[in-house]
Formats: sequence, C-alpha cells, structure tokens
Amino acid sequence: MKLLKYIIFFIICIIQSNLYADNNSILIDKISKNLRCLICQGQSVYDSQSEFANSIKILINKKIQEGNSEEEIYSYLKNKYGQWIVYDTEINKKTVYLWLFPVILFVFGGILIIRKVFIN
Amino acid sequence: MLITQIGNYSLILGLFLSIFFIFYLILILYGFIKIKLNNIYSILFIQLFSVLISFFSLIYSFVISNFTNETVYNNSHTTKPLFYKISGTWGNHEGSLLLWLLVLTLFIFLFFIDSKKQPKIYRLYTLVFQQIIILGFFLFVLFTSNPFSYIFPVPLEGLGLNPILQDPALAIHPPILYLGYVGSSIIFSASLSALVSKHINNFWAQHIKKWIFISWIFLTLGIMLGSIWAYYELGWGGFWFWDPVENVSLMPWFCLTALLHSILVLEKRSELKSWTIILSITTFSLSMSGTFLVRSGILNSVHTFANDPGRGVFILTFLFILILISILIFFFFQTEENVRENKIYWLSRETSILVNNWFMIFFLAVVFIGTTYPIFLEVLTSEKISVGPPFYNKLLIPFLIPFLIFMAIGPNLKWIKNDFKKVNFYKFFVFIFLCFITFIFAEKFKIKNLFTIILIISSLYLLISSIGDLIFKRKNISQNISHFGFSILILSIVLNGILSKEFSGNMKIGEEVKFYNEIIKFKKVETFNRENYKSVIATFEIENNKKKLILLKPELRIYNQPNIITSEADIKSSFYEDKFLVFSVLKKNNIFNVRYQVKPFMIWIWVSTLLIIFGGFVRLIKIK
Repeated sequence: MKLLKYIIFFIICIIQSNLYADNNSILIDKISKNLRCLICQGQSVYDSQSEFANSIKILINKKIQEGNSEEEIYSYLKNKYGQWIVYDTEINKKTVYLWLFPVILFVFGGILIIRKVFIN
Repeated sequence: MLITQIGNYSLILGLFLSIFFIFYLILILYGFIKIKLNNIYSILFIQLFSVLISFFSLIYSFVISNFTNETVYNNSHTTKPLFYKISGTWGNHEGSLLLWLLVLTLFIFLFFIDSKKQPKIYRLYTLVFQQIIILGFFLFVLFTSNPFSYIFPVPLEGLGLNPILQDPALAIHPPILYLGYVGSSIIFSASLSALVSKHINNFWAQHIKKWIFISWIFLTLGIMLGSIWAYYELGWGGFWFWDPVENVSLMPWFCLTALLHSILVLEKRSELKSWTIILSITTFSLSMSGTFLVRSGILNSVHTFANDPGRGVFILTFLFILILISILIFFFFQTEENVRENKIYWLSRETSILVNNWFMIFFLAVVFIGTTYPIFLEVLTSEKISVGPPFYNKLLIPFLIPFLIFMAIGPNLKWIKNDFKKVNFYKFFVFIFLCFITFIFAEKFKIKNLFTIILIISSLYLLISSIGDLIFKRKNISQNISHFGFSILILSIVLNGILSKEFSGNMKIGEEVKFYNEIIKFKKVETFNRENYKSVIATFEIENNKKKLILLKPELRIYNQPNIITSEADIKSSFYEDKFLVFSVLKKNNIFNVRYQVKPFMIWIWVSTLLIIFGGFVRLIKIK
C-alpha cells in the first residue's frame, strides 16, 4: 500500500507541475514551432529565417504582449491564413475521421485477434 | 552523341527482352515449350547487362558533362566535383528510375540463382510476375521519363544539381533505399507465385525469409541515412519531422517489419498464410506508391501532379493494374487450407507475434492516414489542413507504451503453448523498481509530461529485459540485439526531445552570449573560394564553467550554379550529447543569426538504429 501511496503522490506532483506558467519567450518558441512557414518547404516558423517567418514571430510577440492567449493567437492566424498554418491538427467535423480511423482500425484488429485466440 | 544512343538502345533492347520473356515463360508454363534453364539464365543475364550498359552510359554522360543529354543538362554542371557528378545520376527523376530498373533486374537474376531448391513452377511464376513489374518500369522510363533525350542546340553549361543534395549521405541514400524497395518487389512476386503454384508452406517461408531480411536491412539503413542527412544538412537540428516524403519511406517499413515477424509463424507453425501474403502485397504497393509519389511531386502539393499529367496517369494506371492483378490472384487462387483458421493458444509466441502485427498495422494506419488525409480533404472540400508532428505524437505515443512492454514479454513465450505458471514474475519487480528510478529522474530534470515518464519506464523495461535475455538465455541473439536497439532508440529519442537546450538569436562578430552554464563566443568569419561554391566559415568558441573550450566552425556555402545558399552545421558529437551550431546571414551587415543547440544522446539514435539493423544482419547470416 505504501508503494501505491508513493506512486499516487508522484503522479499528483507531476500533474501539478504542468500548471506552472511559461514565460514569454518560451511561449513564442512553443507557438512558432507549431506554425508552418508558408513560403518554405517543410519548415516551421521557428526553424525558418525567412521574412515571412520573422514577421510572424514579431506578430506573435505583439499578440502576447496585448494579452492574447495561445489559443487566441492560433485562431487569429487560422482566420488569416487558414488551417494550413497550424501543425497541430484540430479536431472538428472535417478532421474527425483523421483521428478516428486509426483507432477504429486498432479496435477492429483487436477483435480479429481475440477471435483467433479465444473463439473459433 | 554515341554514348546516349548506346544507352537508349540497350534500354529498348531490355524492354523487348521483357516482352519476349513473358510470352516465353507463359508458353513454358502451359507446356508448349520444354523448359531449358540455361536459356532462362541467359535471358535474365542479357537483360541485366543491357540495363547495366544504359546505366553506365548515363553515368559516363554525367562524368564527361555531356550536355547533349537533357537529363545531364538539367542536373549537372562542369564545375561540380566528380563524386557529385556521379551521384547526380540518380539524384533526379529519370536517373533514379533507371536505378530502380537496374536493381529490379539484378535482384530477379540473384533470386533465380538462389531459388534452385524450390519447385520449378514456382520459380517460373515468380519470373512472370517480376517481369510484368520490370516491363511496367521499362515502359514508364522510355515513354514518360527517358534519361536519354537529346537537347538541341547543345547548351554550353548545365543547370547544376541542387546543392543540398550534394552530400555524401544523400549520395548513397537513394540506392540503399531502392535496394529495400526493390527487395520488396521480389517478395511480392514470390508471394503471388507461391499462391498460384500452391506452394505456401514452411519450406517457402524459409526461403523467402532471406529476401525479407535483405530488404528490411536496406530499407532501415536507407531511412537512417536520410534522417542523418536531414539532421546535419537542413539546419534545424531535427532528424524527423513527419514530413510526407519521410512518411512515405516509413510506411513500407512498418509493413515489412510486420511481415518479418509473421513469416516466422508461417515457418514454424504453418499458420497465418493469407495474412503473410496480404502483408507482402501491401509492402510492395506501399514502396512503389512511395517512390512514385515522391518522384511525381503529388505529395508536396496536389497541383504539381497536374503539371505532368502523362507521368501521373501512367503511375496511377500501373499501380492500379498491379493491385488489381494481386487482388484477383489472391481471391482466385485462395485454397481452403490457406484460409482455414486454427485456434492458437492465448499465451504463446504466435499470439505475441500477432500482437506485434496488430501494433505495426496501427502505426502504419496512423502514418498512412496522416499523410493522405490532407490530400483527399483538399481535393474534396478544397480546404487545406496541416497534419504535423503533434498529430503523430498524440496518436503514436500512447500506443507505443504497451507495444514496448509486449516487445519485452513476447520473445520469452514458447511456441504453441506457454504454461501460465512458468511466466517469470520477477520481471514485474524489475518494472516497479524502474518506476521509482524514473520518477526520481523526472523530479530532478523537471519532466512534466506523464506520458513521457511512462514511455521512459516502458523502454527501460524493454532494455533491461532484452539485456537479460542476451546475457542469460542466448536463445535468439539476433532478436535480442534488435529489440535492445529499439529500446535504446525510443529512450534516446525521448530523452533527446525533453532535455535538448537551444539558443537562437542575432550576434555580431566578437560578441559573447551566456547560455545556461556555457558562454558562446563569436570569434571571426572567413571567406574561401571552393570548386563550385564560395565558402563562408564562422568560428565560435563554447566555454563551459570549467573553462574548457570547444571550437565550432559552421559554414555557409554560396553555390554558383544554381545560385543557392546552404548552411552546413558544425556538430561536435560526444558520448552523451551533441553540440550543434548553425548560422545564417541577415540583411543588416555584420549581424548573423546564430542557433546553438545542445542535444543529449543524439549519437545513440544512430547507434541504436545500427544495432537494430545489426540484429537483422545476424539473423540473415544464420539463415544460410
């Protein structure tokens, strides 16, 4: 039981630590890593030195200083440039199958294996 | 020029040989002609030889910068170093297809020599299927992407090879990857032929296993080389970005790895016959669509596809025909025995291999859907979405955790039936012990994500378990090495991901920046003139808190033809971390953008992949 207590304690510690707020520049890095540089080939805004990427970085900085949250910045950019700019695909009506298909397939595969092993 | 003619005509000779050969084989199979093995050997050899001649004539054209040839003109330049003139041969669409063709003809020749002990009818059918693929490639090369077309008037200078491709790792990356892809074509033809000639049994499994391991080794090596290249050449310090072009090489790998496991069940227990055939067909279809998709440009953007309708339509038709043929054969020649399902015991090696296949197919599905979904969505709704690294991380990591644990348990189970009481429970205590160690580690390094911690625990578990098997059991060394390598791979990727530190900012010459417990000093910038580029080399000193100095000299290369700037990172690798520095010029004079990264365990990502490959290699040697 002691074991379990420790494990639960540690898990709580870790979940707690998720709540620490990031400071500004880390947030800029985090957001820009998740944005596609629209004029580059397969590079994020963070990784690119192009004019487009630099202007986006400045824009993010400005938005953060105006007090916008991460989500608000994403939705602003999505409105302006479309879904294409954000790497982290959001779950909505059009992308629900993207997330669901693999999982459905996994469940289906599991059923096949169970059939092979237990029934038949 | 004569050399172009020779190349072109020997290619046409190869095409006609292929057509003739298919008819010849069919006549033999229907009993109209008596089989003469020597004739078959000669035809295969002449075909290989003709492709070899045309390949070497293309290399020769590249070496002497023969600009009457359009392919050479488009991809070469007189000032390019000899090594890259040669590697430029397969650094373009036309040449790379010729290389495909060369490997195809080489492999079928080797296959025929190697399969002497197998039934004749099976060998002949394999030749027929392989020749259909070869014929398709001949037609594709000659009619849509001929590497020997003339250009007139003859230009004085070529357009040059894209400088980021002028790199040793990328020079050998395509041939190695192709060896893997084409190896899967042999597996494909052999499976269809085994189906037709009713030869799916453990004897066949033993024989085809060799080819599965060969292709798997080359495919893994090829993917690794591409990744190493991305790491030091693309200048952002990452090695995998879930880019469509990367994904396309990973998909056949998942499928081939599943096959590599399921073939063992077929060999030992004569089970999973249909499933093994399905995996063989899928692996090849994925490899081929991979090469074509990358080459035709459909992946980067759907619109590139329309730019060259001829090629695109050919690709789709050919793929469609091959898949249709295999599906028809699969259903027509399916026997009772192949489909019959025998129950397998729940706690056995067979079940554990099924579990491996289950996860592999899931990983494949994630990558496949992640890569193709945006294409279909854009065609159907004209909405463009990005599916980037976060998608793959979110879907793959939770499943990777049980996968790692199964990888540790599975190989220790017995074939047919494992007594539940004989399962070693001491490993459970190892697991608990590892949990504690990891939590202490996580506290120290302030790792916040719970998933990451569980991932570390499960890969440590696999690590300890495979080392234990390697030392105490020594029953299956090759498998132990590969699984051990995989645990290190996951561990180093995770630790690298969470412990990497990075400085990114603008610096002037002479400036110093403090970064954690190090000081980055920008010393000087020098310029040199090289064979086909101008080189700008910067010198940085990294001083740590013990006053120890490390010198880093990143480079910018300004190529003259085509006029492109590439940045070469300087990387100092050590046992436990890489120091990676790259710089670029900003518009304002004398100010440079500097990016310095400390990446722990980077070298272990490559070492562990080599270990995985080495495990496969050990098994391959043992087959003979």
